[in-house]
Amino acid sequence: MLDRDLALDVLRAARARGGSFAELYVEERTSVSIRLDDGKVEELTTGLDRGAGVRVGRGTSFGYAFSNRLDRGALLEAAAAAAASLDGEPGAVVDLRELQPPVVHVAERSASGVPAADKVAWLREVDDTARSHSPEVRQVVAGYGDSVQRVLIATSDGRWVEEVRPRIRLVAQVVAARDGVIQTGFHGPAALAGVEFVDAHPPAETALIAAKRAVAMLDSVPAPAGEMPVVLAPGMGGVLFHEAVGHPLEIDTIHKEASVYRGRIGETLASPLVNGVDDATVPNGWGSFSFDDEGAPAQRTVLFADGVLQGWLYDRLRADVDGVPSSGNGRRQSYAHQPIPRMTNTYILNGASKPAELIAGTERGVFVTALAGGQTNPATGDFVFGCSEAYLIERGEVTTPVRGANLIGRAIEVMSAIDGVADDFQTWEGTCGKDGQSVPVGSGSPTLRISRITVGGTGA
Amino acid sequence: MPELTDLVAAAVDAARHGEAVEAYAERSTKTEVDAHRGEVEGLTFAESSGVGVRLIRDERLGYAWAADPSIDEVRRAVEQARENAGFATPDEHHVLPEPEPIEPLGALFDAEQAALDTEKKVRVALDLEARATSRDPRVTKVENVQYGDAVSHVAIASTSGVSAAYERTDVWCFVVALAEQDDETQTGFSFRVGRALADLDWEGVADEAVERGTRMLGAVKPSTMRVPVLLDPFAGSSFLGVLAGALSAEAVQKQRSLFAELVGQRVGSERFTLVDDGRLLAGPAASPFDDEGVPTGRTELFTRGTLNGFLHDAYTAHRGGTASTGNARRAGYRSAPGVGISNFYVEPGKVPPAALLGRAEGGVLIQDVSGVHSGANPISGEFSVGATGLRIAGGAVGEPLREMTIASTIPEMLQAVTAVGDDLRFFSAVGVPSILIGEMTVAGV
Repeated sequence: MLDRDLALDVLRAARARGGSFAELYVEERTSVSIRLDDGKVEELTTGLDRGAGVRVGRGTSFGYAFSNRLDRGALLEAAAAAAASLDGEPGAVVDLRELQPPVVHVAERSASGVPAADKVAWLREVDDTARSHSPEVRQVVAGYGDSVQRVLIATSDGRWVEEVRPRIRLVAQVVAARDGVIQTGFHGPAALAGVEFVDAHPPAETALIAAKRAVAMLDSVPAPAGEMPVVLAPGMGGVLFHEAVGHPLEIDTIHKEASVYRGRIGETLASPLVNGVDDATVPNGWGSFSFDDEGAPAQRTVLFADGVLQGWLYDRLRADVDGVPSSGNGRRQSYAHQPIPRMTNTYILNGASKPAELIAGTERGVFVTALAGGQTNPATGDFVFGCSEAYLIERGEVTTPVRGANLIGRAIEVMSAIDGVADDFQTWEGTCGKDGQSVPVGSGSPTLRISRITVGGTGA
Repeated sequence: MPELTDLVAAAVDAARHGEAVEAYAERSTKTEVDAHRGEVEGLTFAESSGVGVRLIRDERLGYAWAADPSIDEVRRAVEQARENAGFATPDEHHVLPEPEPIEPLGALFDAEQAALDTEKKVRVALDLEARATSRDPRVTKVENVQYGDAVSHVAIASTSGVSAAYERTDVWCFVVALAEQDDETQTGFSFRVGRALADLDWEGVADEAVERGTRMLGAVKPSTMRVPVLLDPFAGSSFLGVLAGALSAEAVQKQRSLFAELVGQRVGSERFTLVDDGRLLAGPAASPFDDEGVPTGRTELFTRGTLNGFLHDAYTAHRGGTASTGNARRAGYRSAPGVGISNFYVEPGKVPPAALLGRAEGGVLIQDVSGVHSGANPISGEFSVGATGLRIAGGAVGEPLREMTIASTIPEMLQAVTAVGDDLRFFSAVGVPSILIGEMTVAGV
């Protein structure tokens, strides 16, 4: 995308006024997105995006400038703008050496080689399958997207990294209706992979999961309110862990003293059954990569071991401040954004229980099979999650579906209240928003039971 | 770097016989300054541009976009859009709007703001943080403080004869203050948007963030109660997003709106009037024309509780046999237009918020709701959201409350509006004053 001599010149220009390091990030991304709405291909969009960002670090602060243009003039201009807030002597730029990736996520068959007609056919399969599941299925929206992101990172301390990241996702959103009651179901698996992903996650399977969710919820009654045990289906505990625990473990919130976990490494802040990691090396994981967006190799970071807090998630800027190596969590949405500490694939690992035991051992509670997303305040640990699919547990059995359930609690209390971790790990793919930047993230967990949590519902 | 008007003209020129082609181009420069602990934490300069091409052939729509394209790359985008259209399902309602006279809105661009030097911007960010951390002994630090501004140019042209351009300046700042007492931390958020630094009242933003954080210290979880609820503008704005989705003709035509069958009916209380006005200069989302070149205008969606109609773009207007309300919106050049809001706001009343407190005795002032996005069903209108706020006693706010849930339906809530404050405030495109709801269930322990 760029020759090394030009990269070196840009880095030198960026270091013209000092600072602790300079970094050039160049990106080119092609993308395809298709939306099939009520059986009609409403939109097929192709995009070509490219640009470069130059960052100059100085202690905890930075200057950042980016442009869509990759010509010498534009890049040198960006370098000068990024350095503008400094007033020191020029800093060194070391010769660039290519780093070898610690893990390569192979796309066996590139999506760019597949005709658009095939991709449209996958969406038709989603539509057909969902509709034939039940006459109560009223609307189906099927979405497909793939992209190939080419990244080049060069730094003043001699790092040269190139990576190609193919991403693919297929989603089904189904609306079911009966007697004026309307419910929706969603499923959207995704991966850092080629179209072999579609073989592993057939469109019909995705459609069926979403359709079953929507139809099952037609029988729902208002969720109960109050404190009670909650069992989270595989994958869902990971979503909760990402939001309520992962965000306060990102080093920027720690440094800003806005995290409930600040200064507490080594303390038991979750049930001893909880082992949690953030792992960018998961082969073909949605949140995986070979290098982060600062050129640090992908790695696996242990967050909790037997309930004891082990560490934070670091980017380069803040790792330098703390005098530790980056954990490879510096990510950005695109060249238009500066890197910030982010999660990759954040998992609660398997335990020893059986999922059926956790249900059977619950006298009265709620079984949550799909979370709709949530909000968390890292400073207080308070979180709220909506449940898009949930059921009552009565006398150890999953019974009536319930709607309108919220899970409300505080991170440390709720993680400490986990009293059962099963052995049926599953992932859940999502898009995480922070500081106006969206990045693909994976989360995952086995079935978990929380002994007590506030359920905000409208029923008795 | 080619001129935007040349780029969009090149796309239109590349149209073949029988094709309708529209190109939308934007270019912006943006500066963001983040301050932390008395220093510039981050200084970001951004320059970006791009073109999106919409092509309709045989009633089929294709879209393609490119960042900072050359004239040749724009022509290639037209070819790609043509290819993409080949896979689309024909739909007779894919039409490009006909050109209409456009009244310019010159006040959107502030030349002085566009020329503001970086030093001044840095100063505002630093002063903003300094003020937020010096107002109250319990607030000595912030989570985030930002000053930002942007200068943007938009141009649009189509084979149907639309050809228009405008420029604008936008400026914003926000503060997330950390209020601390003993082992407890609460966050207080405030932000404002404007067209120039002078509109911003950044001092007020710092003070408000401090106030909103400190007053939550010592929050307790209340027991469940059915009481009057006063939604402050921050809390109210969260609900307007749900209304916006349900009032789009797109949602109605796809039978995804709870309001689909209710035109002409009294849905809300007579205190409730809801407007979308793309020409309201006081609103940050003002523009002379929408994102497909149709002049913007004022649409009264609810008048004293009665639903009048919906927001339209050219597609939904054609399908519904009506005229576009000038509400085509897109998330930048990367996406084709769809129905969206401009300045979407609840018409303010005459009652100051302080007087509303007096009318909500024993109730709760809600200052923040969370989970509306996931906790509200845009189709059924049911919602259940987390909330924080303050107890109202003796005509003033008192004890802070946390971990509450409010659950209802959108129509029930609109019917229960008993008063609307005079304190209309815009949060990006959405504007809302304080709203008093006669009674709602606030669930606690």
